[in-house]
Amino acid sequence: MKLDTKLLAETPEGIAILLRPAGAVPRGLAYALDFFIRFVVMFVAAMFLARIKGMGTGLMLVTYFALEWIYPIVFELLPGAATPGKRAMGLLVMMDTGLPVTPSASVTRNLLRVADFMPFLFAFGLLTMLMRHDFKRLGDVVAGTVVVHAEQVRLAGALPEAEPLAPRVPLTRAQQVAILHLAGRARRLTSERLDELAALAEASLPPADYAPGGTSPAPIRPGPRLVAVAQWLMGQR
Amino acid sequence: MAMTPRQFEARYEPAWLELERGLNALDAGRKKAKAGPFPTGASEVPGAARVAQLYRQCCEHLALARERAYPVHLVARLEALTARAHQRIYRRHDLGLGAFRHLVLYQAPAAVRALRWHLLVATIVFVLPVIVVGVATWIEPHFVLTIVDAGQVREFDGMYGRQAGEHLGRTSGDDWTMFGYYIMNNVGISFRCFAAGLILGVGSLFMVGFNGLLLGAVAGFLVTRGDSERFFSFVVTHSAFELTAIVLSGAAGLKLGQAMLAPGRLTRTQALMRAARETSPVVFCFTLMLVIAAAIEAFWSSAGWVAPGVKYAVGGCCWALVFAYLGLQGRGHDAAVLEARAR
Repeated sequence: MKLDTKLLAETPEGIAILLRPAGAVPRGLAYALDFFIRFVVMFVAAMFLARIKGMGTGLMLVTYFALEWIYPIVFELLPGAATPGKRAMGLLVMMDTGLPVTPSASVTRNLLRVADFMPFLFAFGLLTMLMRHDFKRLGDVVAGTVVVHAEQVRLAGALPEAEPLAPRVPLTRAQQVAILHLAGRARRLTSERLDELAALAEASLPPADYAPGGTSPAPIRPGPRLVAVAQWLMGQR
Repeated sequence: MAMTPRQFEARYEPAWLELERGLNALDAGRKKAKAGPFPTGASEVPGAARVAQLYRQCCEHLALARERAYPVHLVARLEALTARAHQRIYRRHDLGLGAFRHLVLYQAPAAVRALRWHLLVATIVFVLPVIVVGVATWIEPHFVLTIVDAGQVREFDGMYGRQAGEHLGRTSGDDWTMFGYYIMNNVGISFRCFAAGLILGVGSLFMVGFNGLLLGAVAGFLVTRGDSERFFSFVVTHSAFELTAIVLSGAAGLKLGQAMLAPGRLTRTQALMRAARETSPVVFCFTLMLVIAAAIEAFWSSAGWVAPGVKYAVGGCCWALVFAYLGLQGRGHDAAVLEARAR
């Protein structure tokens, strides 16, 4: 069963791009932020436009219209592909194929926000989002777009430096992958926790008192030994 | 012996760094991307053609790294790099003016003609209430009160009745105010009318029919009051755009509803996506028509000093223009245009 919400988008070059769809909470906050920005812009515009006789009210209404319908479309078609609210939440809109959002898709998803709003307060949109693993609202489903987190989460970094040690026995591929993944996370874990986890692989690690060409004076804990094996697997000899 | 992750990284990292430099330069836009011969110097900023080549190389590297289960940080680095290059390479490069021209001249009328059956239904749902309510109100003027309340009737009277002043069609507000109001109100209504089609098409039918009811009630009421000339000379010009746009938005909404209700051999999602792609030129078309209608309604229709005869003539021309545009413009290219869009 799939545990995460990652979305795979395949490209013509034959690779898959990982998208991380954004859920209801960040999108709701982004909407609230956009709403606030639009409100402030409208408020400021109204202060100035109210002084213009004649055209003032008309321009005010046009501004209101533009803020309601044009604002999201324009920002989504700019290079950042996100309204200021979405940008602040680290979100952006793209096609579910991983391509940049097209004008017609952006128009569709923003007009259909009306359908998402029905019957009250985005009930349909929220329901659709909660029912789907890619968190699309109705407008996204129809337009084929998806709102994603712009940044990928990095749980694993580069391996810590260590003298390489050969594993005690030849490792299967799955074992190699597990060791490399754990070593990649070593910097994020306390040394005690790393030892605890590395102890699970004790059977594959070299003995605690092993040192290249003899025995080490003091036993080495499992964590550092696992990192050393990982370095060996990386190709350091 | 298989290549170890270290060797892999040492061997291909220069290419990754070069691609990164190229992307940075493209993002900064400092160096204009030229499609010339590939620059060869190591520290040089690669041009567009070289970036595309590097991108394909990096895709290969990523596929290899995944297949050989290299450490996560290596794969993640390549993933981020290729994802960034992918976004950059497949981005639109022009302002879309050519595409806009093509949309106006070919795609929009072709998409409207492709919806002819939905248009027929929407037209019937709109025209029938206009006729029925109009005639009913004409025969029995009190019938208008079953559609709208007394306050609104008084408002109509103020807008088109004998005491309506220099400006027709409004009780207060100048041309610019009304222009803004019409844009906000009418375009908003038609967007909602389109979107309401998602509710199995019923929403669009309801909104189109309801607008028909209102129009019938107002027209019938004003005719019985003897204000027909004032009213019809007011509406004749902008209605060419406005009423057509309402029917178009209803038809586009119906298309969405149809995809939801009877997706045929596609899944509902696929059918909806296709319907949205097919109707988006129509959405553009009716939005543009409503903006035109708002301008005409605010500045021309309301001008009390223009003789009704002139308005009827101009109005007639507008109706002919709209029908000619939707019916004839780009005719004969339809199949090619629609096929190119569906791809």
